[in-house]
Amino acid sequence: MNRRETLKLMGATAVASISGLPQLANAAGQEMVVVVKIAGIPWFNALEVGVKKAGGEFGINASMVGPSAVDPAQQVKLIEDLIAKKVAVIGLVPLDVKVTEPVLKRAQAAGIKVITHEGPEQAGRDWNVELIDSIKFGEVQMERLAKDMGEEGEYVVYVGTLTTPLHNIWADAAIAFQKKNYPKMKLATDRFPGADVTDDAYKTTLDVIKAYPNLKGILCFGSQGPIGAGNAVREKKLGKKIAVVGTVLPSQGKSLIDDGIIREGFLWNPTDAGYAMVAVAKLVLDGKEIKDGIEVPGLGKAAVDVANKQIKVDKIMRINKDTVDSLIKGGL
Amino acid sequence: MHESRADLFQRLKRRHEFWLASVIAILVIFLSVATQGFLTLQNFFDLLTSYAFLGILAAGLLVVLISGGIDISFTATASIAQYITMLLANKYGLDWFSVFALAILVGVLLGAINAILIDRLQISSIIVSIATLNIFYGLLVFVTGGKYIYSLPSWFGKGIYWFEYVDADEISYGLNLQILALLVMFTITWLLLNRTNIGRQIYALGGNREAAQRLGFNVFRLNILVYCYMGLTAGVASLIQAQLAQSVAPTVLVGKELDVLAAVVLGGASLAGGVGTVLGTVLGLALLAIMQNGLILIGVSSYWSQFFVGLVILLSVSATALSARRKRKGNLVE
Repeated sequence: MNRRETLKLMGATAVASISGLPQLANAAGQEMVVVVKIAGIPWFNALEVGVKKAGGEFGINASMVGPSAVDPAQQVKLIEDLIAKKVAVIGLVPLDVKVTEPVLKRAQAAGIKVITHEGPEQAGRDWNVELIDSIKFGEVQMERLAKDMGEEGEYVVYVGTLTTPLHNIWADAAIAFQKKNYPKMKLATDRFPGADVTDDAYKTTLDVIKAYPNLKGILCFGSQGPIGAGNAVREKKLGKKIAVVGTVLPSQGKSLIDDGIIREGFLWNPTDAGYAMVAVAKLVLDGKEIKDGIEVPGLGKAAVDVANKQIKVDKIMRINKDTVDSLIKGGL
Repeated sequence: MHESRADLFQRLKRRHEFWLASVIAILVIFLSVATQGFLTLQNFFDLLTSYAFLGILAAGLLVVLISGGIDISFTATASIAQYITMLLANKYGLDWFSVFALAILVGVLLGAINAILIDRLQISSIIVSIATLNIFYGLLVFVTGGKYIYSLPSWFGKGIYWFEYVDADEISYGLNLQILALLVMFTITWLLLNRTNIGRQIYALGGNREAAQRLGFNVFRLNILVYCYMGLTAGVASLIQAQLAQSVAPTVLVGKELDVLAAVVLGGASLAGGVGTVLGTVLGLALLAIMQNGLILIGVSSYWSQFFVGLVILLSVSATALSARRKRKGNLVE
């Protein structure tokens, strides 16, 4: 449980005990708690807005918690707490699918529904919700990078950690797409971790620039990757030579996008993602049959792969000089 | 007195720093031969710049460890210092002098809280600083809602560059804010520990608290000084980190405590107090930095890099431990 959540909980408990009706809090509606990768960063703050909004609309007592550091073991701890609390649904944005698998299975055994996001390979879940098609998301970004590199030369790829599920699926898709379509481009070395932390991406980029002097492109999967890489490229005045493309938050990336360092950013809207997790939880709790083409409340038609427990709504968001300002106005 | 070379070597061999420096020398020679990019002025400046934040904190933590205490709340202190300072800088303009004064003030105040709790309540410093880490950080995240500050004042964003030099590839480097701050803080720490009476008192306090008290040292004043100095370094470090990251994020610094602690302990400082040198800390930090840097330059797959980092740390620590054991055996025979 993160600190903010603890404080809130303490506040809530205090209020409940003063009113002398502690049970009322539970009876008010079924509870869903979404466990995210780390608490307090803008991405998950935006996701929390969606979780709360959907909770209000669907009458689910929905909230969000996250570890204070990017650490899968802390996610396990949080999930254990939620099992003990007997919530109805656990939402999870997994850091490491292997680490969280056993505890999720325990949750399911206790009758708790599990909805993941960014976790297509997570075992022990009921459904995984995505706002993008993972393969397409990787390919679109490679396409953009290739355009900026003139379809030739060396590039590197950053991911959050070497075991972050989705980042690595995107990276695999992007690299496969390059091999098939852009034979003159070359992945300079194995992918690097660090794209979740600005300082790490910065350090790695300084080193990479020296290790691979012919480098022409950096593709980052992880919201801080393009920022750290972009800062390093800007500092070294290499903005014309090295193209940076990747997942970035509009407000954080604006100055680098305006300077032409980050050529284009790609994302889905985290608020929609939070909303979607709760919306799917609602469908599950209501016992609706989920099949291809189902209408997810508030998001539209979804592509459903029942065998693999995947629900996809296609919503890729492109962040460039033309779109960045309007997206920031939208609160991102 | 004239000393023969063999004697000098014998004396050096007993020093932790000697073994650490040897491991680093071997690494440097290896990397210089194996890669093109390692032994360049540019790489040297890049390393100093990106490790300045950890280095400055390591200098502060060294002083705390020598005094026999420990502090792990400094990352939260740094986060608060940087957040408050940049918030006010955005609002009121400010200048270089005032932002540093402000950040240092915040750091020193929070350090004083640690010192008072540790000294007056006689609770072990690790417990107090774990608690204050959570309190400081919890308050910061609660009050700010985790919001980043993306736009810094433009003079701050540009930073400081002295002796800027542009090489043939139009890549520029020079003495920047980070490197300047790192040099200044290491120098001050060295002077404090080696050239002042207070420095000797800090060593004495860490070596034997009881004895120090009986000798009439003012332990409370020393504790205040030590933890406030840690806060001061946290304030300075926080600003140069914000300048480098071009933003302030309340959540990114907390979690780096162990990196700093690793560098200081690797550099020979003892968690039991009384032992440690600035040179050792510099070497400990250098070893960690060169490992990370070298592994990428040499093209080692990221999947393997943690393994090698661990291996080299283990090797360098064993070298010291083995020599210490031999020394003890030698003493027994004599």
